[in-house]
Amino acid sequence: MYNWLARSLVLLGAMLSNVSLAADLTDVDEIVRRANLAAYYQGADGRAEARMIIRDGQGREQMRQFTILRRDRSDGGDQDFLVVFSRPADVRNTVFMVAKHTEGEDDRWLYLPSLDLVKRISAGDKRTSFVGSHYFYEDVSGRNIRDDQHRLLGSDERFYLIGSTPKDPASVEFARYQVWIDKQTFLPMTIEYYDSGDRSYRKVEVIETETVQGHPTVTRSQVSDLRSGGSTRMEFRFIRYDLGMEPGLFSERSLRNPPREWLQRPH
Amino acid sequence: MSLADRLVVGAMRYPRRIFLVLTAIVLLAGWQLPSIQVDTDPENMLPHDQPDRLFHDRMKQRFALYDLIVVGVVNEQHPAGIYNSQTLAQLHTLSASIAEMAGVVRQEQMALDRVDNIRQQPGGGIRFDWLMKQPPADQAGAGEVRRAVERLPLLQNTLVSGDGRAAALYVPIVDKSESYRLANEIQAVIDTLDPADQYHIAGLPVAEDTFGVEMFVQMAISAPLAGLMIFLLMWLFFRSMLLVGAAMIVALVSVIVTMGLLIGQGYTVHIMSSMIPIFLMPIAVVDSVHILSEFADRYRPGEEPKAALRTVMAHLFTPMLYTSLTSAVGFASLAFTPIPPVQVFGLHVAFGILLAFLLTVLFVPAYIASLSPARLARLKDHRIDENTQGLLARLLSATGRFALLRAKGLLILFAALAALSLYGVSQIQINDNPVRWFKQDHRLRVADRVMNEHFAGIYDAFLVLEKASDGSGTEALDRRLDQLAQQYGLQQPLAAIRNATETNELQSYGNALIVAFDEASFSGSAEDEAGWLALIDTVEQAQMQARYFLDPEALGYLDRLQAYLDANDRVGKSNALPTLVKTVYRELQGGADEQYRLPASQQAVAQTLLSFQSSHRPTDLWHMVTPDYRSAAIWLQLKSGDNRDMSAVIEQVDAYLATHPLPPGVSANWAGLTYINVVWQEQMVSGMLASLLSAFVAVLLMMILLFRSLTLGLLSMLPLSVTILFIYGLIGWVGKDYDMPIAVLSALTLGLSVDFAIHYLERARAIFRRSGEWPATVAELYQGPSRAISRNAVVIAIGFTPLLLAPLVPYITVGFFLATIMAVSALVTLLLLPAVIGLIKGKQRLFGVREEIENV
Repeated sequence: MYNWLARSLVLLGAMLSNVSLAADLTDVDEIVRRANLAAYYQGADGRAEARMIIRDGQGREQMRQFTILRRDRSDGGDQDFLVVFSRPADVRNTVFMVAKHTEGEDDRWLYLPSLDLVKRISAGDKRTSFVGSHYFYEDVSGRNIRDDQHRLLGSDERFYLIGSTPKDPASVEFARYQVWIDKQTFLPMTIEYYDSGDRSYRKVEVIETETVQGHPTVTRSQVSDLRSGGSTRMEFRFIRYDLGMEPGLFSERSLRNPPREWLQRPH
Repeated sequence: MSLADRLVVGAMRYPRRIFLVLTAIVLLAGWQLPSIQVDTDPENMLPHDQPDRLFHDRMKQRFALYDLIVVGVVNEQHPAGIYNSQTLAQLHTLSASIAEMAGVVRQEQMALDRVDNIRQQPGGGIRFDWLMKQPPADQAGAGEVRRAVERLPLLQNTLVSGDGRAAALYVPIVDKSESYRLANEIQAVIDTLDPADQYHIAGLPVAEDTFGVEMFVQMAISAPLAGLMIFLLMWLFFRSMLLVGAAMIVALVSVIVTMGLLIGQGYTVHIMSSMIPIFLMPIAVVDSVHILSEFADRYRPGEEPKAALRTVMAHLFTPMLYTSLTSAVGFASLAFTPIPPVQVFGLHVAFGILLAFLLTVLFVPAYIASLSPARLARLKDHRIDENTQGLLARLLSATGRFALLRAKGLLILFAALAALSLYGVSQIQINDNPVRWFKQDHRLRVADRVMNEHFAGIYDAFLVLEKASDGSGTEALDRRLDQLAQQYGLQQPLAAIRNATETNELQSYGNALIVAFDEASFSGSAEDEAGWLALIDTVEQAQMQARYFLDPEALGYLDRLQAYLDANDRVGKSNALPTLVKTVYRELQGGADEQYRLPASQQAVAQTLLSFQSSHRPTDLWHMVTPDYRSAAIWLQLKSGDNRDMSAVIEQVDAYLATHPLPPGVSANWAGLTYINVVWQEQMVSGMLASLLSAFVAVLLMMILLFRSLTLGLLSMLPLSVTILFIYGLIGWVGKDYDMPIAVLSALTLGLSVDFAIHYLERARAIFRRSGEWPATVAELYQGPSRAISRNAVVIAIGFTPLLLAPLVPYITVGFFLATIMAVSALVTLLLLPAVIGLIKGKQRLFGVREEIENV
């Protein structure tokens, strides 16, 4: 009986993999486009609570906890983000707001409650640390897929392997990167960055995914700085999509008065 | 048969065995030599477990500090200094190439192209950007870089000098021992750059590593040169290859075996121990020269050599043993200095001296026994200056007569000299600086001078403030949690959570608890939620309270301390957490100068820092404060690496702390290489005093034992005491710094220079016992015996002179002072001893004549 079950499972597996093989994409831009959508554009909007444990090369820890709200202006296009910090307690209610543009620079605002200060921030590039973690802003909001030249390096049963090189090498700190994209979910599962000496120095890995409201979603991931030995683990919980957020939510008003209704945990 | 007799007879009977055993030992020792390991790290002047050193290492780890190579770019021509597109482009290229080098910690490299800028944006925004991601295309762009740097206190005078003429690249390296290689690689890149700018490579690690390389050069040149010099001198005195050859063999074997022993035991060769060959050679040849020349005088061709040799040995054995022992004691006393490389040096030279003695009494007889009668006859041909009409001879007998006639005047003169010297000694400046170990025109010295001229200073010291953990530890938190849990009936789940938590550090313990409580508040029952939230709140409060250096009061103290330090002339600049917080705060508040201040609350500080952490280099923060915010470092850029200046800064800070007490529970301690140098110097100064005193007492006891007379023992110590006093007085008068080599010299010269007094008094006693008259004794004493003493002084003094040719200053210092001490102490012996003895009533008793007669 178990034998039979096992054999059926193997058969089923083979059929499924055949199906996926048959559906293998060969157009690298299509793969990258789908990966971009899968990673950053699930649903029309979404919320999640994130917790980061930042660990330096000596194992010393810091924690950051925040709620992130997102609304897409168009699928694969512009997006709004609101990031409201809850921990550590001394930065509670600090807010970042980002209007991501696929054309031109993003708009960024920062609200510091204890300075009662709203500040418009512009940044030369998006490859700066996200609040002291090993994640970059670009890892959180998504790198513009048109900034790189992509090449399909190969594929196996589970992954497409994409090699990407920047169109403007002077604007970034990497010389190239490789992405392993899950063939089923199109989630980028591992990204490895190489420096000008072609040494791998940075790695972003997905550790756990879950399907939320039909969308395969990353719930745990990690960035490792291979030079310093430091790393940051990020965990997403209380994820909800398609909540019907209004465009007005992402305005200066929300910086000073974070929208409680969206920040509360869904029960 | 006496011990001496037995040794001589034995050695002469079995010369072949002695040669074989010697050859085997030399081969064994020589086999160790290739595994030589040089160590020039001044940190190793302290034992590995020395508390200041341990603290320094811990701080390096805690604040992620690396040893730095500092590369300076100077432009004196361009009106805007380095702020011109050409120089900045070169700097950019250089920095990019250095970042690629293996052994460089590239993410920590500091240069204009690798740091962030924060500036105001039209319309009230602020902009975070690389300061100079690409070199500017024109002068306007270069001017923008200048404006940016001048607004950032952490960069101004650190990355670019205040006058805009010099820029610096700070290159952190994984391992200090690679700095010479890296400096060469950097130099290779520099050589391809536009020669319009000057480049300098500085920094303690480069200095140390370069010193090591040049040390090898000096060992390869100075030591053989010293050997050659001694050989030539002896040739000049004796004109006999047979005689000189034997002495040279004794010297070489002592050197090889001693160095082999040192290296074989796994000791590294430090600055001091690299001088062992040069110390040993002159000392080692002296005894064999004594034996051989006296043997040659006594030996009649055709006789049995054994008899002549036995007579010689009976006569020389005791003084040779004692001179060797005293010299060995002088060196061995260095073991009382708590500085491992100095201890290793002292003990090994002491070993080498005793070995040379042993070789002299074993090998030299065996050598003579193996000579054919023809060669023995030729030994006779050596020439010793027995000419009583020679210049040296006439000068010496005049000295004797003078000392006798003008005894009182001489004593007054020496007393006056001693008094002056004492004043000089009181004026001695204790100071050292490893960079000064290079000559004035060495490229490292030049780099050091130029960089310190332009910049706030390139010598590092760190003042570390730590908040003790009492009252805010995990135990206090646990007590509060227990109370709350009881209130909400959550004792059991709390205990379970706590058991699953491993860490003891408050912040991560708190983080783990918060994660678990958060989970429990969500998954547990609705009525428990309030309890869990209260627990979370308590943990957060405790965590916040524990983040001490976010508190504006704590920062305020740091800030005032910094202001005090910055006002100090010796401190070029200080960098610390308040500098960073104030800069970011000013930009957040619109960039006006009056906003350059500390925020009002802990939350405001934390939020200011969170803004900074959204930069390209967030971890720069951890060089100033630890992630738990319980320890903060003030980085001082000092203009001078002189220990004296560092000590002055320490004293001034102590004075400040006395009038402005540290906040409760906060302690302040020093770290940094400049500070470590002060620590080992202090240890050395006090250690040297112990060495000097112990050597003095040991040598005095040996002298009393040798002469069986307290007075003679004290007398024998007189010339060297006057000499050492005089030399160190001179150092005080001239204003030469009392540094490592000079300190080491004091104890060991004591053992060396007593030799003259031993020989002098031995002969004086022997002659007096025979003649019974002091003037006659002096007359005879200033014939042969004084010539032997002078000759010895000359051999040793000149033997050290090749050190004067060394490329490194400590060797020159040692060479100069040893030569001077030898010459002066010989002179003092010949002048002072006859004068003092002349004034002592009852010379019969002094030289033990009566007892001798009674005994007979």
